[in-house]
Amino acid sequence: MIGIITKILSGAKASLLIFFLTLIFSLPLGLILSSFRMSKNKILNGITVFIISILRGTPLMLQLIVWFFGPYYIFGIKLNPSWRVTSIIIGFSINYAAYFAEIFRAGIESIPIGQFEAASVLGYTRFVAFVKIILPQMIKRVLPPVTNEIITLIKDTSLAFVVAYAEMFTMAKQVAAAETTIVPLFVAGLFYYVFNYIVAYVMERIEKSFSYYW
Amino acid sequence: MEIFRIENCKKSINGLNVLNDISFSVNEGEVLAIIGSSGSGKTTLLRIATFLDYMDSGEMWYLGKKIVSNVSNHSSYIGQKDLSIDSLKKNKELIKVKSEFGLVFQNFNLFPHWSVLKNVMDAPITVKKRNIDEVREKALTYLKYMGLENKAMNYPCELSGGQRQRVAIARALCLEPKIIYFDEPTSALDPELTSEVLKVIKNLAKEKRTMVIVTHEMNFARDVADRAIFLDDGIIAEEGDAYSLITNPKKERTKKFLQKFKE
Ligand SMILES: Nc1ncnc2c1ncn2[C@@H]1O[C@H](COP(=O)(O)OP(=O)(O)O)[C@@H](O)[C@H]1O
Ligand SMILES: [Mg+2]
Repeated sequence: MIGIITKILSGAKASLLIFFLTLIFSLPLGLILSSFRMSKNKILNGITVFIISILRGTPLMLQLIVWFFGPYYIFGIKLNPSWRVTSIIIGFSINYAAYFAEIFRAGIESIPIGQFEAASVLGYTRFVAFVKIILPQMIKRVLPPVTNEIITLIKDTSLAFVVAYAEMFTMAKQVAAAETTIVPLFVAGLFYYVFNYIVAYVMERIEKSFSYYW
Repeated sequence: MEIFRIENCKKSINGLNVLNDISFSVNEGEVLAIIGSSGSGKTTLLRIATFLDYMDSGEMWYLGKKIVSNVSNHSSYIGQKDLSIDSLKKNKELIKVKSEFGLVFQNFNLFPHWSVLKNVMDAPITVKKRNIDEVREKALTYLKYMGLENKAMNYPCELSGGQRQRVAIARALCLEPKIIYFDEPTSALDPELTSEVLKVIKNLAKEKRTMVIVTHEMNFARDVADRAIFLDDGIIAEEGDAYSLITNPKKERTKKFLQKFKE
């Protein structure tokens, strides 16, 4: 039993790595993409719309395969072993950035135009107004859909198995096959559940911290 | 001293001539009332004066400095790169001029995530780089003036509409503008909350603050304003001394408009 748990734990560590690195990269990247998406520059806007539609319109699993094998098959680059985890992080981050970008855009567009105008008349530059006035209000508005995405991300980390990355679900399956028991799969399920529970709790606390105003 | 002047201002929106050759000026210490029916272009005029929108042709001055000139029958803004709203917002020369005026909106537009005090204090500190302690003192003075000294730590959502509008006025005042524009400051308020806001503006007028007030409160305009402009279909149909214009209009259109406000 101890052996089962340590194996699954090592997988859990790998899953957590994907999870946290994806969050760290995809949230700011999503913000940048959303600003391109709202740009008045038609070319930048058009390219961004196209990229986002591809990222959201094709399976993440497929994207992970392309990121992992693409450099070799397309450019003939010899891959070193660290590329596996790097490509996974890139694939996840860019895919989630596309979802976050659309959430952020909707959040910014839902802020009354009067907020932008008041800031403008008071003399704030657009950048400062965005950071101090628009962004905090946007964050409050997007927390519920962002929480949904984060919870989906936890479960999506299992998709890293397509490039043979030893994340938690892969480890659980290996152990299950070796020991001919499905207990490891239940243990893995329990890990996902507990982790989701923690994330939901943290997000709820963050939402509460924004509830002092409407 | 002349604070604001606009000459031959024209503006069309979606092919509709919203403003047609508007010219007027405002001197220091003067209160100008702008009246006119809904859709006559009052808001558009204030938006142009506060750079929220640009005019198609015409000229504009602040404190004698020419901000907008006419070049081949088209408005050219100082520091302007192109004619997009975007470049208007990025224009550094215009941002400097913005400290000369304040604007009080119909629906307040306070920043909901900030306390009342921060709403009033932030722009002077962030935009004008003023000393925090001095700004706080001044902000508290203005809040007291508004009768809101005990609301400084509250959030806008905890205030009534009348209180919110008074915070918005304090926010504008704290930047010490040379002129303040009001766009129907009481139109979004319940009738019983209107008077507390009008009283504050009346006091500001007594202190000889330079103000331009768009309003449907005719008695208020008559008593508080020095001059009045009646805007109709994007032109100044009548202008003059506020008391005479409102109590004894010359033009038929003005009479007809004012008739609607008599009980
Ligand atoms: N953004 C806009 N899009 C289309 N029409 C507009 C816009 N802004 C103003 N208008 C039109 O311009 C005219 C004047 O509007 P406005 O300046 O708001 O008048 P007022 O403030 O006197 O009621 C109206 O006919 C209005 O429909
Ligand atoms: Mg209006």
